[in-house]
Amino acid sequence: MSSMSAAVAVSALSDVPTAGEESYFTVFAGGEAFGLSVLHTQTIFRITSVTPIPLGPADIVGLVNLRGKIVTAVSLRRRLGIPVDEVQNSLAIGIEHKGENFALIVDEVGDVLTLDASMKVQIPAHFDPARSRFMAGLYKVGNLLIPALNIGALFDFTS
Amino acid sequence: MDELLKDFLTETTEHIEGAETQLVHFERNPTDASLITSIFRLVHTIKGTSSFLGLERLERVGHAAESVMGMLRDGVPPTQHSVSIILAAIDRIKTIIEEIGQNGCEPPGDDSEIINALEAYYAAGSEAAEAAAAAEASAKVAAPAPSEEPPSVQAELTPSAPVATAPQPAQPAPAVPASTKESAKAPESNSGSQAKAQGGSTANQESIRVSVDTIERMMQLVSELVLSRNQLLELARHREDDAIKTPLQHLSTLTSDLQDAVMRARMQPVGRLYANLPRLVRELSTSLGKSIDLVTEGADTELDRQLIEVIRDPLTHLIRNCADHGIERPEERLAAGKPERGEIRVSAAHEAGQITIDIAEDGKGLDTERIKKKILAQGLATEQDLRAMSNEEIYRFIFEPGFSTAQVVSNVSGRGVGMDVVRSNIEAIGGSVSLSSIEGKGSRFSLRIPLTLAIAPALIIEVAGQRFALPQTSVVEAVSLGKNYKELIQDVQNALVLKLREEVIPAVELRSVVGLGGNEDHESEKLAVVMRVGTDSFCIIVDGVADIQEIVVKPLSASLAHLKVFSGHTILGDGSVVLILDPSGLAASLGIEKSTEKKRAEVRDQNALERRRLVMFKAGSGAPKVLPLSLVSRIEMVETSRIESSDGRLMVLLQGRLMPIVPISHEIDMSQPSYPVLVVATDTHAIGLMADEIVDILEEKLEIQLASANSELVGSAEIRGEAVELIDVSHFIRLAADPGRSAATPQRILFAADDQLVRDMLCPALSAAGYNLVAAPIPADVNELMSQIATFDAVILDADAPRLSTPDVLRALKERKDANRIPAIGLSKNPTPRATRIATESGMAALVSKHDRHALLETLAYALDAAADAKAMSMELAA
Repeated sequence: MSSMSAAVAVSALSDVPTAGEESYFTVFAGGEAFGLSVLHTQTIFRITSVTPIPLGPADIVGLVNLRGKIVTAVSLRRRLGIPVDEVQNSLAIGIEHKGENFALIVDEVGDVLTLDASMKVQIPAHFDPARSRFMAGLYKVGNLLIPALNIGALFDFTS
Repeated sequence: MDELLKDFLTETTEHIEGAETQLVHFERNPTDASLITSIFRLVHTIKGTSSFLGLERLERVGHAAESVMGMLRDGVPPTQHSVSIILAAIDRIKTIIEEIGQNGCEPPGDDSEIINALEAYYAAGSEAAEAAAAAEASAKVAAPAPSEEPPSVQAELTPSAPVATAPQPAQPAPAVPASTKESAKAPESNSGSQAKAQGGSTANQESIRVSVDTIERMMQLVSELVLSRNQLLELARHREDDAIKTPLQHLSTLTSDLQDAVMRARMQPVGRLYANLPRLVRELSTSLGKSIDLVTEGADTELDRQLIEVIRDPLTHLIRNCADHGIERPEERLAAGKPERGEIRVSAAHEAGQITIDIAEDGKGLDTERIKKKILAQGLATEQDLRAMSNEEIYRFIFEPGFSTAQVVSNVSGRGVGMDVVRSNIEAIGGSVSLSSIEGKGSRFSLRIPLTLAIAPALIIEVAGQRFALPQTSVVEAVSLGKNYKELIQDVQNALVLKLREEVIPAVELRSVVGLGGNEDHESEKLAVVMRVGTDSFCIIVDGVADIQEIVVKPLSASLAHLKVFSGHTILGDGSVVLILDPSGLAASLGIEKSTEKKRAEVRDQNALERRRLVMFKAGSGAPKVLPLSLVSRIEMVETSRIESSDGRLMVLLQGRLMPIVPISHEIDMSQPSYPVLVVATDTHAIGLMADEIVDILEEKLEIQLASANSELVGSAEIRGEAVELIDVSHFIRLAADPGRSAATPQRILFAADDQLVRDMLCPALSAAGYNLVAAPIPADVNELMSQIATFDAVILDADAPRLSTPDVLRALKERKDANRIPAIGLSKNPTPRATRIATESGMAALVSKHDRHALLETLAYALDAAADAKAMSMELAA
């Protein structure tokens, strides 16, 4: 995987939107792959230092200085209930959502996929709601099932 | 949205605010034709442009308003009605413009009511004005339109508002009505404003319109630049490379200058706040039936634009309050010998890194007695508390939630909501509000506001290895705990308190507030940071203070906004992110939810009280009793066998003199072999107060908390957690008094002192000396004081009372005609030669120390003698 090539791919792909199709990064957390819409992503960077937020929501790792901008770092692993070992030097994706700047910490960033509404399948009812609430949909890619991440739910800490 | 439409909207929005102000000015000065001319021009432009842009509603309202304004311009004197309907039309124009701004098109709606009102007025007026108009029409032709009429008279009125920044569409310069009547006046009223107006127009040519977003973006970029600069400086510090140092130094200075310049660009003149005030005051005058003038000063004082918006509401509320509660009705004002028109003066000034905005009014001032009654009724303080409070402290209650003294709830103010909101809004931005008042003269609110919210000095503190920023505005001091931790910080009932110089301050470990780690044991490094929020003090215990930095405050993002102990975050010079602690959030986490003024007043009073040496003793059942040691000349153990009873009174022979003895309690039954006797000496004789047992002699502050109805007692107080009773020596002196003494006509002495303890300490000695004493607080009203004095033979005044050093009281004392016959003696804690000189200059016979009873008695006797001589002399002269 290479974050640089992924970043290049963003600009290349987002310039050619095709009806019904959308481009997604594959991101990995705890060995599982997820799709993250490229439309939301602004940058991919490595976190060098995090300021924890005492009393803050547990899934928020802390605050990060991203080139003079303060962004709220959220761990995808924690969000999905996967144990976390080290935040330092981890890979994060800068995402702006509802006027707030977030960094989604993931294990790895993989290839860009083009997902199409025709590839969408129903999210099975027996999925853990703690996980399925973060899914915007489930897509069949070859013989893999890849859930697309629901940005709104990921960065909603009101509950 | 269409560019043309956008320009029209921004321009009109700006000008229309100015128009309101001008219209109100015009109502006041109907002779100043230039005012109505410029509003007329504005409305005319709006009408013209609206018709061009196809905005029908605006065009129709504009047209109807223009007709009425035309009448005014042509010399029909403005009436309240005509100005009101024009203001209503301007309001409607504003609303429509606002909606166009939001939706891009004119909203549907019916303006016929306003238009009818305007047209009806026009129809009625035009008939009457016809004759005059005809005459003027010829005058207009005769006098060519003065084309050199300065285009921006507006700038003079609202010098700060960016009026007329863009040139108006070419309009034929409207003719100034040149009726013969006005021609004499018009030039002189214009000449004064001419210079200013021209100054304003040059300033306008040099300004451009920049959107707020652009400024904000620049601010952000500069902040980032500052951070990069700091990182570079940090790197350079560790290198011995001189080649880079000079240019880096230069870069550093430039960055600071740039930051400063951008900050300045965010500043806006306070005048923006003033723009709406004339109209507000006009409406208040109308609805309250009062005549009020508004004076604004310091319109060009600059303030961060964010703050301008925060202050707007509090300012409006204070002005409403001044108009409603402060300014009297015209007839009341005339009766009080004041000009009929009241005045509200709003002045802004830059003062020591802060902006002060004063709102002063020349009305009746605050009614202290009514406020006191209200305080008592609401149970916010006891009478005892109030007696010990200065007027300023009493006024503070006005800012309590739910406190309103309006007897009739009016629609303007008086619902008791507002003043507390004013205070909390101002305090939320790190400002403060205070109030002073002189009865009959008016009152003044003072707002102190920081220059900007964006950059604030902060303490960078450390706890459990993490750093936080603490805004310095609320930090009072940092106390190093060191080895004295155990001594300074005490765990009382599972809560920590800091004992600092007699004060007990609630304390909390920051690590437990923010939930970081357990207790570590290297307490020796710890610091207690004492903070004040509103009126409450508290302290947080931290591991250390790392630095003091200017921080750029950034608000917390929405997902973290629920964390009340943090108000924002910032990036420090080294690039790391820290959270900013919110002082009021911290206070709330300690359970200090709402500040109560009472608490602070209490703390202050206790500090004001001196420690006194007291004898504590027991007499009968009940609480221990105390007496100031200064009243007791000695304590003797007297054997019961030596006490003789004569004529129903107890006596003992001591040192060759018979001394009357009074048991302090009737429960003392002489069953013990001996009793302690407190000898209270007056100049002429001594009496012995018999007690059961002397408990202790201690040095404590004594504050009477419960006044007593029992004549034996002054009242109850609390000492070292125990209730004690302060006994009234004068009562016992009367009991023991020689019946023969009281036959002589006693001289009447007024003892005026606010401090009850001073009265309690000295009055017994005076009454024991045979004077007929009236002890009272100093009346707030100087005339009342003077008339009181006139009924006494002499007066003793507490010169330390702030009321006595006010100029009006000093003057009244100095000019007192009966000064020779009724001597005044001042009492002071510290009668320095200078204080004595001031006292004698203001007509006092002498200034005596509060602690010297003998000197007081001697001086009083001497002064009374001298007064008697003077009286005899004047009688002789009269004869």
